[in-house]
Amino acid sequence: MTQHPLDTIVAVATPPGRGGIGIVRVSGPRAAAIAAALTGHIPAPRRAQLAVFRAADGSALDQGLVLMFPAPHSFTGEDVLELHGHGGPVVLDVLTKRVVALGARVARPGEFSERAFLNDKLDLTQAEAIADLIDASSGQAARSAVRSLQGEFSQTIHALVEQLVQLRIYVEAAIDFPEDEIDFLSDGRIATALDAVAARLQTLTATAQQGCLLQEGINVVIAGQPNAGKSSLLNRLARRDAAIVTDIPGTTRDVLRERIAIDGLPVHIIDTAGLRDSADPIERIGIQRAWDEIARADRVLVIVDDRGGVAREDRAIIDKLRHGPALTIVRNKIDLTGRQPEIVTGEFGTEVALSARSGAGIDQLCRHLADCVGYQPDGEGVFIARRRHLDALRRAQASLANGRMQLTGQRAGELLAEDLRQAQHALGEITGEVTSDDLLGRIFASFCIGK
Amino acid sequence: MNMNFQDGFDVIVIGGGHAGTEAALAAARLGVRTLLLTQSIETIGQMSCNPAIGGIGKGHLVKEIDALGGVMARATDRAGIQFRILNASKGPAVRATRAQADRVLYRQAIRAAVEGQPNLFIFQQAVDDLIVENGRVTGVVTQMGLRFAARAVVLTVGTFLGGRIHVGLSNYQGGRAGDPPANALASRLRELPLRVARLKTGTPPRIDGRTIDYRQLAAQPGDTPAPVFSYIGSAAEHPAQIVCHITATNEQTHEIVRSGLDRSPMYTGVIEGVGPRYCPSIEDKIVRFSERDSHQIFVEPEGLNTHEVYPNGISTSLPFDVQYALVRSIRGFENAHITRPGYAIEYDYFDPRDLKASLETKHIDGLFFAGQINGTTGYEEAAAQGLIAGLNAARRVNGLEAWCPRRDEAYIGVLIDDLITRGTLEPYRMFTSRAEYRLLLREDNADLRLTSRGRELGMVDDERWRLFEQKREALEREQQRLRNTCLHPGRLPVADAERVLGAPLSRNQNLMELLRRPGVHYESLMTLPGAGDGAADPAVRQQVDIQAKYAGYIDRQEDEIVRQRRNDELRIPADVDYNDVRGLSSEVRQKLSAVAPQTLGQASRVPGVTPAAISLLLVHLKKRGHRLPKSA
Repeated sequence: MTQHPLDTIVAVATPPGRGGIGIVRVSGPRAAAIAAALTGHIPAPRRAQLAVFRAADGSALDQGLVLMFPAPHSFTGEDVLELHGHGGPVVLDVLTKRVVALGARVARPGEFSERAFLNDKLDLTQAEAIADLIDASSGQAARSAVRSLQGEFSQTIHALVEQLVQLRIYVEAAIDFPEDEIDFLSDGRIATALDAVAARLQTLTATAQQGCLLQEGINVVIAGQPNAGKSSLLNRLARRDAAIVTDIPGTTRDVLRERIAIDGLPVHIIDTAGLRDSADPIERIGIQRAWDEIARADRVLVIVDDRGGVAREDRAIIDKLRHGPALTIVRNKIDLTGRQPEIVTGEFGTEVALSARSGAGIDQLCRHLADCVGYQPDGEGVFIARRRHLDALRRAQASLANGRMQLTGQRAGELLAEDLRQAQHALGEITGEVTSDDLLGRIFASFCIGK
Repeated sequence: MNMNFQDGFDVIVIGGGHAGTEAALAAARLGVRTLLLTQSIETIGQMSCNPAIGGIGKGHLVKEIDALGGVMARATDRAGIQFRILNASKGPAVRATRAQADRVLYRQAIRAAVEGQPNLFIFQQAVDDLIVENGRVTGVVTQMGLRFAARAVVLTVGTFLGGRIHVGLSNYQGGRAGDPPANALASRLRELPLRVARLKTGTPPRIDGRTIDYRQLAAQPGDTPAPVFSYIGSAAEHPAQIVCHITATNEQTHEIVRSGLDRSPMYTGVIEGVGPRYCPSIEDKIVRFSERDSHQIFVEPEGLNTHEVYPNGISTSLPFDVQYALVRSIRGFENAHITRPGYAIEYDYFDPRDLKASLETKHIDGLFFAGQINGTTGYEEAAAQGLIAGLNAARRVNGLEAWCPRRDEAYIGVLIDDLITRGTLEPYRMFTSRAEYRLLLREDNADLRLTSRGRELGMVDDERWRLFEQKREALEREQQRLRNTCLHPGRLPVADAERVLGAPLSRNQNLMELLRRPGVHYESLMTLPGAGDGAADPAVRQQVDIQAKYAGYIDRQEDEIVRQRRNDELRIPADVDYNDVRGLSSEVRQKLSAVAPQTLGQASRVPGVTPAAISLLLVHLKKRGHRLPKSA
């Protein structure tokens, strides 16, 4: 009996932000159909062809190479499609989203390798590595999830799941215990509760799409005296080979900002050159805005001259930041003091010794910034994790909408119940809780059931 | 004395309850020599608890047992004195049949089936011991020392293992009120390498119906026309039908119960066994839900030829004087005479995680467990397991591979998979919410789901098979006709279209497409000009309607089912050491070791096992040279 894989999976195959090329890889039975929908034709086997990747409305998403590897001669042993586009995380995310819309599912961590292994495409010695990969990647996915669903966001989703469970308790109890005088389906409470959950889910999805920290990137403020080397640091950061200026539309570029990327992580550098007392009302508005930016920053870099250390003016700024974001002292100009680049802990926390002029220590600084927000460029990218979450949110929303229709239109409790189950299942993929949900236990705790 | 019984048997079933009788009948139907050993032939098919069969989830089980050739539905059709469809106002998937049964008629129907079954023999004698040689069961020893040889043994001993009955603070050994427990067997079984624990269940005091003032009670009639349980049964088989009644507890009742709690075996810690949360005693209801000022009581007649009634809802183990007072505080029961005191019973059960899906124990070859011994409660749950255990005991004797329905095939599959994968800490009862494929597992299609399988297994006789094929062909014919019959907007009067479809027809559409629309029903669709007469058989008409209504949802579950099925077909060798599986957390290792799942699918359902853990296990199995399907 030949086994066909059931579903088609997609993921970004290149490490986020590395280099100018990004590869989106698709594996499974729908690969060819997706290629056709995306580029207008099914590419010839194993031949790189230039193509325009198009959105549903025909507009161009990106241009690049398309490659088709028919089964079994492919990495996974299944039909594999590779889309080589531009490397920016946003572009790759948009491309992934389009492929998902065309019928693929975002791959679990390590799933391509897993399929390759199961289809005898990897040998036994590689199997060990696969096990480690699955293990590490699932941990990574969990961390990515935490990153992608920050604080309040993650609380909201847990609250949502809890609200859903509450709803399910009522619906399931009404179905399984019709003789126990708890028929909630016939009163309006279920509908009200369902609408509340749906509204909350909608807000959440909107938040996930717009306000996510990782799409916006992290905000880093550079503060310091005019001669400390702030500008050269900014230039040095912006001129790094791996640094790419990301192009998120709709963001205003004001004079205070510089936008760069560190290993795919968008970073907004906020220049605080104007942070000084001023009588000019227009400049004061600018300064106030700068302080607002600082309040929202994820990190403040205070640049000091390694020759003189932290000066009085620096301390004034540090004092003002006491209740603000965490800060890092950058001791610049080590090319003049002969010091080696290093990261040490000093009076004000982490200190990075570097030279903006020579570039020594810049990599350590970048690594440090990424570490500060828990960003891991290796393994699974945060964007792909987030894409998976958005997809799950979308499915949960669709299930709730459908369930609402069943409730009003057909009074069909069992169909509503199924939609609620699907919605919870989808949200469970985000929280990582594979539900062995003790719904019955909750029912027995909530209602006096039984003869 | 110790002597060998002259004749050997292929399968011996110990216990003549609902599990035992289905097990013995199933084994004998497969043509193997089967012996039913029971303490008392008189109690074969006895309903020890309430006199009712079916209900939500349970009715589904009964229909499945019927489709597989079992006896429970047929016996209920002959013994049922009131039939109702529960959840009739809700969707077809969650509708369920329930019948009040006359205890005597039910017992007679079961006994007649047992006595009429070729290859099945009965012997009255308690069993004290199992003969186990080299990890394999080879026979049993009865109380008087008789040794019976057998190639497979099915144990269906209900609450009799180490049974202890409690009324107030006094207690005594018993398997059921009036019957002795099976203590010798219990202590023998405790020597086997199986995990054992205690459960508890209870019954209410029974009342003499002549002392009840029915004028004060609300009447609850059965449905007309009376529903039928068996696919090959008919309402003509039903005996006379009766009316049930409903009353309720009140504040005074609750006060009486509270005042007796200091002599309650449950609230003083005398009872250690865990009782079912969905079937709480009246003392539990009042303590745990103190805000409720009243609880319903269903007054269920025990039969046509007795005045005794079963007041369902006041199960209790309080002392008799408290039972007396609480009963008399209830509306309509002011002068009630109690015929039998209520009691709680504690008994041994074995952790069902030590069973295979065939219900054979993992540690002793040829030994099968079914019913309350596995931690379940309910006649229907017991019968379902009995059928599967008896079937597989016979298949083992015949050298055939075991069979158990999957979770997407039957509630029986859900029941057994839940038991062997999750175990149970309280008496396990079926509910529809336990089934993830609830829309697929309906009462109305149990025959379509299982009859073919039952036929292949040798459980379905010619008559049932003939009737089933007739129905299936009629169904397929009608569905084909609907797909081939097209309605045209020009030819369909607008008034008719609005009446049946809610709007005029905008384009040519076939009847099946129209039927799938929300709010469109088969019966009204057939009134449209050009739609034809439809199928003659009402069961077929109903089935066409239901399948069309659920088609969208069921299609959506299909991918999930195929994936799950693939994992269920992938066997895990019994000797896998989870400590060798690279990358598994110690928590997951422990959980998998405790269950020792037989398949990858079962492993994926062990609570706490993540998809990543399943991937790791898959990689491990492949590394060991296990043949795996591609791209699982």
